Amino acid sequence: MKKKILPYLLLAPMILIMGVLVFYPIIATFSYSLKKWKLTAPGDIHFIGVKNYYDIVQSDSFWYSLQNTIFILVFVVIFTTIFGYLVASFLNVNVKWSGVLLALAILPWALPPFVNGILWKFVFFSGYGFLNKLLIGLGFISKPIEFLSSRWTLLLVISIVVVWRSTPFMALVCLAGRQSIPESLFEAAKIDGGTSGMVFRHITLPLMKPFLAVGITSTSVTAINVFDEIVALSGYSDLGKNILMESYLTTFTFLNFGKGSAMTYIVMFFALILGIFYLRSLNKEVEY
Amino acid sequence: MKYVKKAGYAVATILFLIFTLGPFIWTFIISITPDYAIFAPTSELLPEKIIFSNYVELFSGSRRGTTFFVGMYNSLRAVGITLCIGIPIAMMSAYALSRREFKGRIVIKNLFLVTMVIPVMATIIPLYRMFAAGKMLDNIFWLSMVYVSSYLPMASWLISNYFATIPKELEEAAMIDGCGRFATFIRIILPLSYPIILSVILIVFLNTWSQFQIPLILASSMETKPMAIVVSEFMTKDSIQYGLIAAAGMIALIPPAVTALLFRKYLISGMVKGSVKG
Repeated sequence: MKKKILPYLLLAPMILIMGVLVFYPIIATFSYSLKKWKLTAPGDIHFIGVKNYYDIVQSDSFWYSLQNTIFILVFVVIFTTIFGYLVASFLNVNVKWSGVLLALAILPWALPPFVNGILWKFVFFSGYGFLNKLLIGLGFISKPIEFLSSRWTLLLVISIVVVWRSTPFMALVCLAGRQSIPESLFEAAKIDGGTSGMVFRHITLPLMKPFLAVGITSTSVTAINVFDEIVALSGYSDLGKNILMESYLTTFTFLNFGKGSAMTYIVMFFALILGIFYLRSLNKEVEY
Repeated sequence: MKYVKKAGYAVATILFLIFTLGPFIWTFIISITPDYAIFAPTSELLPEKIIFSNYVELFSGSRRGTTFFVGMYNSLRAVGITLCIGIPIAMMSAYALSRREFKGRIVIKNLFLVTMVIPVMATIIPLYRMFAAGKMLDNIFWLSMVYVSSYLPMASWLISNYFATIPKELEEAAMIDGCGRFATFIRIILPLSYPIILSVILIVFLNTWSQFQIPLILASSMETKPMAIVVSEFMTKDSIQYGLIAAAGMIALIPPAVTALLFRKYLISGMVKGSVKG
């Protein structure tokens, strides 16, 4: 009898914390999203069904933020995967200073996202920031480009900054994957006359797939949840806002708890689709 | 052919160094450039005059300097509380999930895991109400509990995967020799799994140090708000002093950078065993 209870006893603190601080709030947010609820009109809170969702889908502001979210997501996932893989291959080469290179490689991942935004703000500053100085110095342009004041360049900058921060994690996962492949497989392929392209397609890629899946899903989650960098680069302005920012502004600036909750649920819907892929790749066993 | 490869590697190294270190170096240069020269319309990359007044202002106990270091101290306190509460609970859960067979194991594990993808905003509105009603806003302990709840799934999952790689026979042998369940855990499992526990500590440390969105909503008082919020207020309040912000950014990244460099060895070994071979 005692044996049967033990695992539940051990799990009790986690279940309690997760229940109160995660699962209950998630359900509560859903019930808020079905209500008319503005803090500016505290006497008038009532059930209105899916009207909040309907209003959101009808508003241009939502589609604008959704486009921004998708732009950041696609750009970040593609380039983080490419650069993460490249950095991993680079770090996989055994040289005297491998340890130092690895240490440097994880630096961007270690720093707070908000500070990350600040670092890059100085690089892409609309006046005479680093990049403008460089481009003018090299004679490509004659006056500074306003990177942070038009929509698409701002989104591009946000995406680049997020790629820079999420590349180290992707590289670590790829490196872990690459190092888990037995060296003998590569030697065997070489003896059989495989070209490097064939080796990549038939050995490296398939065996690294589960690792890549973990890296890509975790990067996607990061990309959907970008917030700190946007604030650092462009403040709480409308220009570069993603859905998360829109939901923050709706809830805590315009004090519309009902609509804000509904918007969060839309973000969560996208996140959960990714979550299912995440679970599947995490639970998979790797076999050689 | 060999030379081509060597040259390629050299080019890769240079590109890697430029892109990794570039933003840090540039921010450092900004922090020692006089304010009037920071965005002066020249294409000169290095300032004519170097100043350290931004660092002096932060360290000399000026109003902004004090706010900044109180912010750093608040972040550090939150890291301490989060680790002290989170790591033991994560280890208990990891032990149950990897070592015990019981009803609902898979369901519980997956329910926890899936919360890793849920955005902060999905829980923060009810939390805000709850905290406001219970007078828990602006309280480092409760703030840290929210952090704990957001890292627990990841932490217990990584640790439980590592526990699963430790042979059961070791534990059984210890039990036969008269060790109790708890003593077995302390003497056998814990010493063997320190790499993953250290790397989880590192990940939790870095994430807590970085917090911005949660404290933005739950902690607004001087006594609780963390470093990132304080720095963000340098940008929006009064006049923007970019040199000072750059200096604050440089100081703020010292603790996470040093911790990451010290713990990096465990990060890879922990990741290889802990992450995918679930």
